[in-house]
Amino acid sequence: MFIQYILPTMMNCASIPSIRPAPEALHPALWKASQLARGGARCIDTGHAPLTSQLPGGGWPVGTLVELLQQQAGIGEMRLLRPALQACAERRIVLLQPPHPPQALALAALGLPPSQLLWLKPERSADALWAAEQVLRSGSCGALLFWANHVRGESLRRLHLAAQHGETLFFMLRPLAAAQDASPAPLRLALRPAAGGLNIDFVKRRGPQRDAPLFLPLTPSLLQRHAFVDRPVLTPAAARGLQPQLVQ
Amino acid sequence: MVLEQERVLACSALARAAGVGRGMRRGGVLMLLPEARLLERDPAREAEALDAVALAMLQYTPQVALAEEATLLMDVGASLRLFGGIRALCARVRASLDALGFTAALSCAPTARAAWLLARHGGQGRRQSGRHGGKNGGAQGGIHDDTSDRARDSAGSHAHGSGHGNANGSPHRNPPAGIRAARALRMASLERRLDRLPVALLPPARAYAAWFEGLGCERLGELRRLPRPGLQRRCGRELLDMLDAAYGLCPELFDWVAPPESFRARLELFDRIEGADLLLAGAHHLVLQLTGWLCARQLAVERITLLMEHERGRVAMPPTPLEVALAEPTWRDEHLVRLLRERLAKQELPAPVIGLALEALQVRAMAPPSESLFPEPGGTEEDRMRMLELLVARLGPENVLQALPQADYRPEVANEWVPVQQRVRPSERAARLPPVVASLPRPSWLLAKPIALLMRNHRPYYGSSLKVASTPERIEAGWWSDTQTRDYFIAEGQDHTLYWIYRERIIGSGVDAEPRWYLHGLFG
Repeated sequence: MFIQYILPTMMNCASIPSIRPAPEALHPALWKASQLARGGARCIDTGHAPLTSQLPGGGWPVGTLVELLQQQAGIGEMRLLRPALQACAERRIVLLQPPHPPQALALAALGLPPSQLLWLKPERSADALWAAEQVLRSGSCGALLFWANHVRGESLRRLHLAAQHGETLFFMLRPLAAAQDASPAPLRLALRPAAGGLNIDFVKRRGPQRDAPLFLPLTPSLLQRHAFVDRPVLTPAAARGLQPQLVQ
Repeated sequence: MVLEQERVLACSALARAAGVGRGMRRGGVLMLLPEARLLERDPAREAEALDAVALAMLQYTPQVALAEEATLLMDVGASLRLFGGIRALCARVRASLDALGFTAALSCAPTARAAWLLARHGGQGRRQSGRHGGKNGGAQGGIHDDTSDRARDSAGSHAHGSGHGNANGSPHRNPPAGIRAARALRMASLERRLDRLPVALLPPARAYAAWFEGLGCERLGELRRLPRPGLQRRCGRELLDMLDAAYGLCPELFDWVAPPESFRARLELFDRIEGADLLLAGAHHLVLQLTGWLCARQLAVERITLLMEHERGRVAMPPTPLEVALAEPTWRDEHLVRLLRERLAKQELPAPVIGLALEALQVRAMAPPSESLFPEPGGTEEDRMRMLELLVARLGPENVLQALPQADYRPEVANEWVPVQQRVRPSERAARLPPVVASLPRPSWLLAKPIALLMRNHRPYYGSSLKVASTPERIEAGWWSDTQTRDYFIAEGQDHTLYWIYRERIIGSGVDAEPRWYLHGLFG
C-alpha cells in the first residue's frame, strides 16, 4: 500500500543537517501529501491537458477502479473519455448496463469503431457484477464502462481487485449521491455539466485536496459558439510544488 | 455396502464404525445396521466405470491398456515433458480421478508389470489396514515410465479400478484417501522395492501360496532366488514370465484401448436430482471422458449436448437436452465445465433427473495453438471468444450485443444492435456505415422510447425550461415502413445539459395545432 511520509519536525531538521534526501527522491512510491502521487500503475493519457496535469500518474490509471459520479447520464461523459477510449480501441470496449441504449453511430463519430463495442444488458444487478468481474478477469477487453446505481462496498472492493488482475481501463459511473459513501477506488471524480464543457470535482485522488472544480471544455463542441474566453486561465498544480495552504 | 455372494466386499466408513467388516454375511450386517443399504456387486458396471476412467485417462497418453484386476496401465514415457514431469503428471491424474469420483492407488515404475504390482500392493495395504472406503469404485493405479536405460516400450502406468465396489455405479466423492503414489523411477530402486513385495501379489502364485509359505519364500526377492527350472516345472511358465516382465527381463505386450469412433457417454445418477446445478459434478464426470476422447482422436469439439434423462414409467418424459455450441472449438475441460455451470444454473427441470448423457455432435480437427514470441496484452482471440461465450451462457444471447449500425436517417433504425454470436464480416459492417459518420450530430444515448415533453411558456420543459441551441435537422424518411417527419434540435437546459429533442411535424388531425415535443437523446 502507500506510506504517507511524515515530514520531520523542525527540530530534527536542525539536528540532522541537509544530508537527508527529499522523501520523493527515495522511492517512486513515496510522495508528500502536497504532491500528486507518481510511479503507480500504468496510465493512459486523458487527452485533456488540464485534466492530465491534475491526475496522479498523468492519466487514467489502468487496472484500477475509477469512479465517475454524475447526476444523470448524458452530460458529456463519453466525450470526456473519448481520447482514452480511442487509445484502447484496438481491443473491445464493453458498455455494461448503460442507462439508455447506446447509439453506435454517435460513438463511431467519437472515434470508437462499432466493431469494438459490446453492450451488455444483464437483467439483475448480481449478473451485472458477475459480468463485470468476468470481463476484468479475462483481461481481453480494452475498457469497461459500468453503470451502477447501488453497489455495496464489498462488491466495489471485489471489482477493484479483479481490475488489478489485468490491464483493463475500468470506469464505474455512479450517481452523485454515492460521493458520500466510502469507496476503495483510488480516483473518484464528480462530473457536473457546464456551458461548453464539464466541471470536474476531485472527490478523491492520491494528491492534495482540491476544492475548486476544474472546468474542462469538451470537444467536439456540439454548439458552434464563441470560444471560451470568459474563463479564467487555469494554472495546473505543479506536481512537486507545495500548496500554500499546507505551508502555513 | 457392497455384497458379493452374500458376503460384504466393501463398506462405508460409517458401517465400519458400526462393526461391519469384510466377509460378514448379510444377516450379520442387518443385525448390526438394519437400515444399511445393501447392494449387489455388479461386474458390468464395474467394467463400465473402468472404461470411463480409461477414456478420461486418454488425455494424458494415447497408450492406455486395461489390465487384470481392474487396473489401468498407461505408458507415460512420452508425456512427461508435456505435463511437466512425473510429479505434475501424477497430480493431474489424481485430480482427474478425483473429479471422476474414484479413488485410486497410483504408482510409477519403469516396467508396466512392476507398476501394476506396486499399485496392487498399495491397494491391498489399504485393504488390510481396513481403511478403504466404502462402495465407491476405487481405482488403484500405477504410472510407469521409462526413464531407465532399459528402454523397451516404456509401458504404462496403471490406474486400477479396484476389485470391489461400484455396484451402484454412482460416482461417489470421498476425500482423497491418501494413497501414496509409489514411485520407482530407476531400475535399481525398483528392484529393491519389488524384492520386498509379497509373493501372493502375482496372480499365478496365489494357487501355490501354501507351498511358498512352506518354503519360507514370502517376498519376490526370495522367489527370484529359487531355481528357475524347478519353479517352471511346479508353477508353470506364466509365473516366471510375469516375474521377468516386472524386472524388465522380457518384453511386455499390451492391448491398447482404442477410442470409439463417436462419443457418447452415459452416467446413471445415484439419486433423483431436482436442482439443475447439482448435476454439475455428474456433467464434469462426462466432460472428463470427452476430454480424453478428444485428445486421443486429435479432435476439438464445437457442439455438445447434455441430455438429462428423466424417470421412466408412468410419467415418462423425453430427456431434456442442453446444447452448448462453441464459437472456438476446444478440447479442454475447464471452459466446458464453466459453460455448463452457467447453463445448468439457468436450466429449469421439468422433472427429477436420474441420468445424464453427453454427446459430441460436431467435432473438427484439433488446431495446434499458435504461440507468439511476445504474448499479446489482451490475450488471444480464443480468450476473447471464451469470455463472450461465458457471458452469453449466463446473460442470454439477446443481452450480449454488438453494434451493427446502418446508414439511415431515422435514428432508431440506424442504431441496430445484434447478438454478438452473429457473425458479421468486416466488409459487411463497413458497407452499412454511412460514408461520413461525423457528419450528423447524434447523441450517444438514444432513449428507448421518446419522452413527450411538457410545455411551459411555449417552451419544452424537462427538469428546466429548454432553450433551443441549434439549427433544426429535418428528418423525413421511411414512407415505406414507418414514416418519420421530425425536426430535431439540440436544446440546452438551465444546467447546461444538452438534450436532443424533436418536434413532430405532422399531427394526426388538424385540430391539434400545438406542436408536440419529445426528448429523444442525451449527449454523452
